[in-house]
Parts: sequence; structure tokens; C-alpha cells
Amino acid sequence: MKFLDWVIVFAYLGYVIWDGVRMSRQSNSVDSYFLAGRSLPWWAVGLSVMATQLSAITLVGTTGQAYSDGMRFIQFYYGLPLAMIILCVTVVPFFYRAKVFTAYEYLEKRFDVKVRALTSFFFLISRGLGVGTIISAPSIVLSIVFGWNLIVTIFLIGLSTTIYTVFGGVRAVTWIDVKQMFVIFFGLAVCFIVILSAFPSNVSFPDALSLAGSLGKLNTLETSFDLREKYTIWSGLIGGLFLMLGYFGCDQSQVQRFLTAKSVGEGRTSLLMSAFLKIPMQVFILLIGIMVFVFYQFQTPPIVFNSGEVAKAEQSAQFRTIEDKFAQAHLERREAAVAFSDGESQENRQNYIAADAKFNGVRQEAVKYIRDTSDKNFNDVNYVFPTFVLQNMPMGVIGLIIAAIFAAAMSSIAAELNALATATTLDFYKRLYKPEASDSHYVIAGRISTFLWGIFACIVAIYATNLGSLIEVVNKFGSFFYGSLLGVFVLAFVVKRARARGAFFGLLFGITSVWVASQYSDIEFLWFNVIGCLVTVAAGYLISLTVRDKPADDPAI
Amino acid sequence: MENEPITQEEVRERPDSWWYRVYALVVLTEVFVIFALWFLSRYFSANTIN
Repeated sequence: MKFLDWVIVFAYLGYVIWDGVRMSRQSNSVDSYFLAGRSLPWWAVGLSVMATQLSAITLVGTTGQAYSDGMRFIQFYYGLPLAMIILCVTVVPFFYRAKVFTAYEYLEKRFDVKVRALTSFFFLISRGLGVGTIISAPSIVLSIVFGWNLIVTIFLIGLSTTIYTVFGGVRAVTWIDVKQMFVIFFGLAVCFIVILSAFPSNVSFPDALSLAGSLGKLNTLETSFDLREKYTIWSGLIGGLFLMLGYFGCDQSQVQRFLTAKSVGEGRTSLLMSAFLKIPMQVFILLIGIMVFVFYQFQTPPIVFNSGEVAKAEQSAQFRTIEDKFAQAHLERREAAVAFSDGESQENRQNYIAADAKFNGVRQEAVKYIRDTSDKNFNDVNYVFPTFVLQNMPMGVIGLIIAAIFAAAMSSIAAELNALATATTLDFYKRLYKPEASDSHYVIAGRISTFLWGIFACIVAIYATNLGSLIEVVNKFGSFFYGSLLGVFVLAFVVKRARARGAFFGLLFGITSVWVASQYSDIEFLWFNVIGCLVTVAAGYLISLTVRDKPADDPAI
Repeated sequence: MENEPITQEEVRERPDSWWYRVYALVVLTEVFVIFALWFLSRYFSANTIN
């Protein structure tokens, strides 16, 4: 990091905090602090929806995932456009016309306060843990850049975001999201161009794709219907559909985005923006990871992308022997890659594939050594992109990309903290403890709640840094609850016979079934959303049959 | 659709049939994107470099 990089990073951070704090004057009532007076245009809400989902994990984790595993992760998003259509038809008009502040408030109108409190409670657990994971990704980047203690960096990023969220409320979160999206995409576009320009002169962009493609890195469609396979078109279309329905339709951090829109139509349009743009956007981010992979065909990569672990391991003669083998394997792979780039024979192609297999074998030896001697959960996926940027990007571009990673992190963290505070203040504090206070009292309660959730998230982040690929960790947290929460909303919207007791115990059955599936089967986490939803709906319906009462007949419901 | 500013009143008055056409467009776009990605991955996986 040079002086110019520092200037860019601190200018960005200073502006974001100032911008958020100055909006506090427009956020002094419950309606304006939590829903921006339902006054925001669709394009701002739409960008905020995308920014909330696009966290630093998406940049750091997805690029690392593409580097190590290729493009097949894109299948995870195949259910998203379909989910958006279903939500536009059902959830958006239901919530908007019921004039609710939280998704769970609707469940009280449809069922009772116990269902509202239970669903909101599970949201607080899943998102409280999830936002901790979201903080840990950029904190890792900072700790590498500055050589600081990870705990210091976690509190730096977590608390700076907390400050502007505390003061500005949802209005600040949304408008800063819009600006952050521009920072992110400008940073990524510059990064992409710089990587392409760093290839050898005889390697074009199509050549790079052929190099990656010959190793299976571009595979975007896996048709096997094996529940133990993590990313297939079926897990994406079916499991991903349920996950996205749960995330965008039942998670307050996303529901709160479209509730700030001016009308039902603008809320729908904001969601459809993601339906059109999300998959192409993710392809672009994964493609950056692929280009990093191709870059390292010609430049020597680190043996593993966590410099701290390498420094520790290098004290051993055994590890230094592995490093020598790794250097040799890289030279052989580079020669094979150059030969493949220059020639078009199948023989060159086979040589290149064999050289890559040998290279990966040596790298796995190094990973195994670190797992055996230092950290049994060691995984360097999240270190790939930041290490690449710091070692290979020119002055100014490093600062820009670090700012983009900050922007991605802060946009998600702010929305999550805002949603956690909204649910805490309105679903619990106002509803169950102090129902008759003034607007300013609830705004203060919301601000205190935001601050406390910020501290909690930082503490969770400390423990989340060693949990493997962070993007998978956050999705696994979500998958544990989303399917069951979605099941409750399906009962509310679709099953006329559903009653409060059925919804309450159906939710508990659903979450228990997911826990059982996670403990006693090899089913991959995307399918948990399907299991949780189906069990909740089935159990909820059957239990509802035992209740002899009449459902509420409120036209808003 | 995304590029045209839409006023609040216009959005409120959009009939369901208009929205259904938009939803159909979303589905068609997704099918096209999935197919295009599959085709490109097949092309570059099988293709040797010229």
C-alpha cells in the first residue's frame, strides 16, 4: 500500500461515515428511521437490494471460490430470478398493503403474537450470526494489509459501519448503498482490465478462457441429481429458489429494502432489477477469480495464500522440501500452459492437464502439512483475491479495490444491523415491553439496538474467521433457518386452513428437521431450505387441522 | 424497463397483464443466460487454442 492507496481508502471511509451521520436529521420518526417514510425510488431500492446481498464475502469469497473450484458456484443463483417473480406476485403486495414495518408483524395479523415473536427471534439468531461472518471477510483483508491483529480490524470495520447506521437509519443505508455499488463496480472493472493487461503478450482473453476451460474451471451446468453434490442446476433451481424466497421474502434485511419503496409497483421493479442483473453480475465476479487463476499460470503463485501460515510452516525442513517441489511443479505447468497457448494439439492439452494435476497434488501436500501441524480447519480460499491484489496490482488500484471491498462489506453490514435493530425494537421492545411510547423514544431504542447488534456482530466475527469459505458459511447459516421461516409464510399466504398453533409448532418441527438432516445425512446445505419449508408447511397444516376456530377476516391480510 | 423513469402513478396503474409480460421476460432471459453460459463453457472446454 502506497500513499495514494491510503488516501483513497481513508477518503472513502471518511465520506461514507460523514454522509450517514448527516442524514440523521431526516431520520427522527419511526416511519423515517425504519422505512424512510416509504418514499424511495425503485432504482435506489433495487441497487440497495443488490448491495445488501453483495457483501465483501461475495468479492473475497466468490473470487477465491472461482480460483479453486471454477464457475460452478454460479448455479447457486439460478433460482433467484424465479424467486423474484414469486415474491413480486405474493409477498410485495401483501406486505405493502398490510402497512407493516417488519415481515414478522404481518404474521401477527395473520396468526398471533407468539408466531411473530418466534419467527423474529429465529431471524435475529440467523442474521446476528450471519452479519458476524460478513464482517470477518474484510477484516481478514485488513489484517493482511496492515499486519494488524484480526480483532482490531474486525472492530474497525464493524464499528465504522455501526456509526453511520446508528445515526442515519434506513435512509442513510439505502443512499450509501447506491454510492457503494458504483465504487464496487468501478473497482472491479479496473481490476479486470489490469489483470488482462498483465497476461503474456501472446495470451488473449479467449486464450485465457481456453486455458481455464480445459481444466474444467468454466463449467456452469452440473446436471447430476445427487443431493450430496453442493452445486448442481437442481440444487440451484430448487434449493436456491427456496433459499432466495426465504432470504428476499422472509429476511427483514431484504424485506425492509422494498418496504421503503414508494408503491407496490416500485417495490416489484426494485426486485426485478436483481432478477435481471444478479446472474450476469455474479458471472463477472467469478470471471475475475478465473482470470486470477490464469494469471498464476504464468506468474508464481504463493504455495498457499495465507502468508502467516506459510511463515510458520517455513521453519520446518519438510515444508521447505514441499516448497521446492511446488516451484518445480509450477515451472512445468507454466511450460505446459505456454505450449498449449502456442500450439493447438490435443497432446499439448493433455500435457497441460497433467501438469496442473501434479501442481495441485503438491499444493495439497502443503495444505495437508498446515492442517496437520497448525490448523486442522485451514482453508485459504478467502485469502486468494486480497493476496493477489496486494502483490500484483499497481499503486492506486490497490486502494480502489480495498475501498470496493470495504464498500461491499459496509453495504451489507449496515442493512443487516438496521434490520436487526428494527426487528428488536418493533417486534420485541415496542410490541412486548413498551407499546405506548413516543416516536423519538423508539428511534432512540432503534439506535441503541443498532449499536448493541454492531458489538455482537464483531464478537461473532472473531470466531467466524476459521470456518472455511466464508460465502458458504453465511449461506449455511441462512439455510438452517430460511426454509422453515419460508414455510411459515407459505402457511400464512397459501394455506387458508392454517392456524397460529400450526404455524408455531410447524416452524419448530421445520427447524428440528433441518438440524436432524445436517447431523445425520450428507445432504448439501441448499437442500435444507427445501426440507425446512416442506416440513414446516406439512406439520403446520396437520396441526392446524386439530384447531377448531375461525381465521381472521381482515381484508389487509 | 430499467432505463425508463417511471412515475408513482404510472406504476400503480400498471395492469396485471403488464406484469405477467415482465415476468415472462425474466424467465426467457434466465433461460437464455443459462444456455449461453453452458454453450460458452462447452466451447472453451473442448476448444484447443488457435
